[in-house]
Amino acid sequence: MGSELTELTESPPEGIRVELADESNVYEWKVIMEGPEGSPYQNGKFLVKLSLPTEYPFKPPTVSFATRIYHPNVTNDEKGSMCLGMLRADEWKPSSKIAAVLQFARQLLSEPMPDDAVEGRIAEQYKNDRSRYEEIAREWTRKHAC
Amino acid sequence: MNALSADEMERFQKLSNNYQPEVQGPLVSIKQSSHSIALDYSNADPTLATKTNALSITHPECRIMKGDGNCGWRAVAFGYFETLFTLRDTLRIETEIQRMKALTSLLERVGLSDSIYEIFVDATEDVLNRTHAAIQNGARDESFLVEAFNEGYCSDAIITHFRILTSAWMKLNPSRYQAFLPMSLNQYCSSRIDPVKTEIDEVGLQALIDGVIEGSGFGVEILYLDRSEGDVVTPHQLSSHNPSGATIRLLYRPGHYDILYPVETLNMAPIVNLQYGMTSDYSSWDQAALGFDVNPSLMAIPNLMQDASFGMGGPMSPMPSVSPTPASPFRMSPQQDMYQSPMPTHAPIPSVPVSPAPHMAPPSSAPPPMTSLPSRTSDGPQIRLNPLVMKPNLSRSLPVTPPFKNSPYNQAHFQNSDFEPIHWEPHERR
Repeated sequence: MGSELTELTESPPEGIRVELADESNVYEWKVIMEGPEGSPYQNGKFLVKLSLPTEYPFKPPTVSFATRIYHPNVTNDEKGSMCLGMLRADEWKPSSKIAAVLQFARQLLSEPMPDDAVEGRIAEQYKNDRSRYEEIAREWTRKHAC
Repeated sequence: MNALSADEMERFQKLSNNYQPEVQGPLVSIKQSSHSIALDYSNADPTLATKTNALSITHPECRIMKGDGNCGWRAVAFGYFETLFTLRDTLRIETEIQRMKALTSLLERVGLSDSIYEIFVDATEDVLNRTHAAIQNGARDESFLVEAFNEGYCSDAIITHFRILTSAWMKLNPSRYQAFLPMSLNQYCSSRIDPVKTEIDEVGLQALIDGVIEGSGFGVEILYLDRSEGDVVTPHQLSSHNPSGATIRLLYRPGHYDILYPVETLNMAPIVNLQYGMTSDYSSWDQAALGFDVNPSLMAIPNLMQDASFGMGGPMSPMPSVSPTPASPFRMSPQQDMYQSPMPTHAPIPSVPVSPAPHMAPPSSAPPPMTSLPSRTSDGPQIRLNPLVMKPNLSRSLPVTPPFKNSPYNQAHFQNSDFEPIHWEPHERR
């Protein structure tokens, strides 16, 4: 876990910066994620909290957006949690790298997965009224993430 | 039915996604009697009841794995360590530690970095070292392994190690497995092998054995309990190795694996008089013909027959010294392997009067090794052999207890007409 943190802080994946929320606690990570180019989240800087359960790596880390974000796969509340794909307990692979988790989360900003959504209405809008979705997502990004 | 709002539906969906049924019991149980498995099926389909009954005799002990999705992986992993411990060969464990280290090259070749896999490899190595120490310290039993496998972290880490090795092995040998998979091999590994708590299927199990276990020289045998025809569970060898070596035996019930222990590996110290399957109550059959002078309950005393000369004057006792072909109470009827048919016509040899009649039987009918049941002629034998024990294919599992060892019906007894001395084989542990 320590070596992964070192690796992540020294050579972070594109658009991602990692530090410990509290130097004495290796289970809580603070991640600054830049909105990917070409997505409505572009230019936004999102604070993402990554916490490792005590059973890590046999249970997946939990990823949540501390910065409000308008996205079909992130709960639209103060928790901002995201739980799908490789982050689900039954799909989690203990051999996954945390870098891969963060890249997966950032990829999701570019390509939401409306069929696996936690926010049904945003997913509907994403599928049926893409421009309206992008408009609101951009607005939220300006308001909360810049 | 549409009374639920979208929010509520979502909430329920989430609850349902996160729901994990509570599974009871330890991750790995202590050794227990397989009779409990037979009891589980006593009211089930008769095929299953028959098979589990037979199983509890050929494999009197079992070890139950927790059904949490890891059972097949855990059973193989536990069986691997336990077999190493049972062999009590520290050199072999040292070899295995080296082999496990060498196997990490598979992980490197599929692109896993050591910072990812080392904690899993360490766990396996740690338990190998503990096994080594247990042998050196003369540990009496495998309870240290049961403890290790019931530590969540240790158990998960070893299973993950075996999973990533299996996955790497498959990716490096795609031609052996791709044809059996309904999807691409990479997809299979990432959805069926690598994720935590995904049940092992047949292809995965084969790959686990090929990639991880085979190198140890251990065989793996699966006994399938299903409703297919037959009276015994269907054994299946999954390793190409010489099956006479140490073997990990698994019981498969659809969706679940446990470990089984056959009669051979049991400690023979307490005399279990299995091969006679005696009962003191014969009244249900042939009571009229009960020709014994011997009190039936005396016959249940294991060592009563230790002296071959015991009861030589009795009407039923064979007299090997007088005749090499005694009219045996164990007259064989190989075709008849269940005693359910009392019809004398099923016996290949006409019924024999209850008397020492050495000349009634042709020389070829000398008592063969005890591989089958005696016929139940009207005046036939008074010892009821348990039919399940006497299945021909189970003869190898018969425990050799003192009374049988000293009986001329034992092929290894010098007075047996088909006498064949027991050959000691180095890998056999009796």
